[in-house]
Amino acid sequence: MTGAALSPAGQAQRAAIQQSGWGQPFRFFQPHNLAFWVYVLGVGGGALSMVRYFGSGAGLYRPALAGGVLLFGIYLVPWLLLLRSQNRYTKQPAGLLATGFFWGGIAATFWIALPANTALLEIWTKVGGTSFAANWGAGLTAPINEEWGKALGLVLLIGLAPRLVRSAYDGFIIGAFIGLGFEVFEDVLYVFNGAVQSFGVDEAGTSLQLFLVRGASGIVSHALFSAIFCAGLMWILGRVPGERNVLRGVLTMLLAMVFHFTWDDVTGLGAGSVLVIVLPFVLAPIELAALFYVLRHAARQERVWTRELLEPEVETGAIDPALLDAVSGLRRDRKRYRKQLHSRRRSRHLIEAASDLAHEIAVADGAETRRVAHARAELTRLREAA
Amino acid sequence: MTDARDSPPAWVPVEHRWFGLDRRTFRPALIVLVISLLLVYGWQAVDAAIPWHNEIKAGDVLDLGGGATAVPPVGWQLESGTLVGATPAESPTSLDVLLASGGATIELRGAAFNGTAAAFLDQAERADGDDDRPAVDGSRGTVTTEAGLVGVAQSSTSPGGDRLDAAFKTATGTSQAVAAAPALLVRVRTAPGQFEQHSDEVSALLRSITPEVDQ
Repeated sequence: MTGAALSPAGQAQRAAIQQSGWGQPFRFFQPHNLAFWVYVLGVGGGALSMVRYFGSGAGLYRPALAGGVLLFGIYLVPWLLLLRSQNRYTKQPAGLLATGFFWGGIAATFWIALPANTALLEIWTKVGGTSFAANWGAGLTAPINEEWGKALGLVLLIGLAPRLVRSAYDGFIIGAFIGLGFEVFEDVLYVFNGAVQSFGVDEAGTSLQLFLVRGASGIVSHALFSAIFCAGLMWILGRVPGERNVLRGVLTMLLAMVFHFTWDDVTGLGAGSVLVIVLPFVLAPIELAALFYVLRHAARQERVWTRELLEPEVETGAIDPALLDAVSGLRRDRKRYRKQLHSRRRSRHLIEAASDLAHEIAVADGAETRRVAHARAELTRLREAA
Repeated sequence: MTDARDSPPAWVPVEHRWFGLDRRTFRPALIVLVISLLLVYGWQAVDAAIPWHNEIKAGDVLDLGGGATAVPPVGWQLESGTLVGATPAESPTSLDVLLASGGATIELRGAAFNGTAAAFLDQAERADGDDDRPAVDGSRGTVTTEAGLVGVAQSSTSPGGDRLDAAFKTATGTSQAVAAAPALLVRVRTAPGQFEQHSDEVSALLRSITPEVDQ
């Protein structure tokens, strides 16, 4: 097939497939790729450090460690379901997201953050004294070491899957998974530390208490910071023609670091007053609003690709313009489509089937295959089953 | 002619090969490697280059949380913990104070513990159970502070160094009040044979510990 034989819509579809990398498989094992070996070094180093850390008190603190793994393992499930629902448009393969998750959980936490935070916290104590470090040390340490440590996972994934990691939205989704990995592994670390701090007294009670505190504060935590930070990094890298915006990227990354600072230094910001309790409730809505603002801007390119991928299907009649708007649109577009159909279930099925068709077209590189024909037939069946 | 998209997945064009690796993958990998090493070892190098200058001065008093205090030895470096009057105020159940001087350290740790000081010392020793180096333990003794707190102390010596652990409940009064009060563990570690050199300072610190103030 040549470009000259394609209609303008077909050419746009072809360009969207090329640019987005959608449909490309993700292979983790790439011995010819230096990024693979650096990943192995980071996760291997992190795993060794983790075993040493937990192994030192594995006997006495086993109940706390087991409780932490169990509680935060359960905590992970709704998070994965939430992030899965956000992995829309040109969806990232599960293997790539899992690779990011384990970088965040093992390499960023135990290989980078653990030694780097210890050293930098001590530097702040030496420079400003123990009181200064207690008030501000965590907030001046974690946003630097942890945000960069996590974002390095995104850079490695660009090296491992350069065609798959292209847009700011890719950075947003991958960043969220890296951040989630960091968050859950760090939470287990905190449960362990809590048991050590209390000399192994009432480990179950300490674990549950830490689970409730960290679980609640985790709603606006590492997953959110990393999603914003990594979207900003992708705007700076500009891996899609026309998407580079260095100023926006830098400001977005700084925003994530400021959010991380306020999360860590509530005690210092609240100056021991009632603000310590009030501030998290004031900051959470601001951080969530910023998250959705970044998400909306980051999704712009992905929405264009999805539209270009499916536009030729409007001509064939497989998709109507309203469904195209919904599948390539924002939440409000999907809501409008749902109202138009008067059925939440039907609109969800049609949007998912249209998304399946887009995926099959991309996997087939725009060619007509049996799976593309089947995805189209499924869409037709659902539309006719009114 | 085929483009890169059509080439087999692991195929590396000959001009990009270097000892079995694809040179095109070097840039992101090396960026990550360099930044990671800077974060891990760079901060440690900076930390090692900066000396401590957080010396305890005459008149300084340590905040042990809940109104409890102790007088630290003058000239030691305060590496962790808060002095009375500084913020944030310490919590008696998550206290972690570290003083250091010439290879010797004094650590004061607080925890919630329902029971006697002796039972708390047993629990703390169980938590230290991984240290199975041969050591000669002294007998347990009673330590009484000037404010009337009664604690239990245990010393030991080994080729790894000399150690003293002293446990207190930070309250005086009825046995129920003492049992419910937070526990305090004072850990002293020195190089082998060096404890005697610091024993006066350690004794003065132990005697200076005051109980919590009823809020």
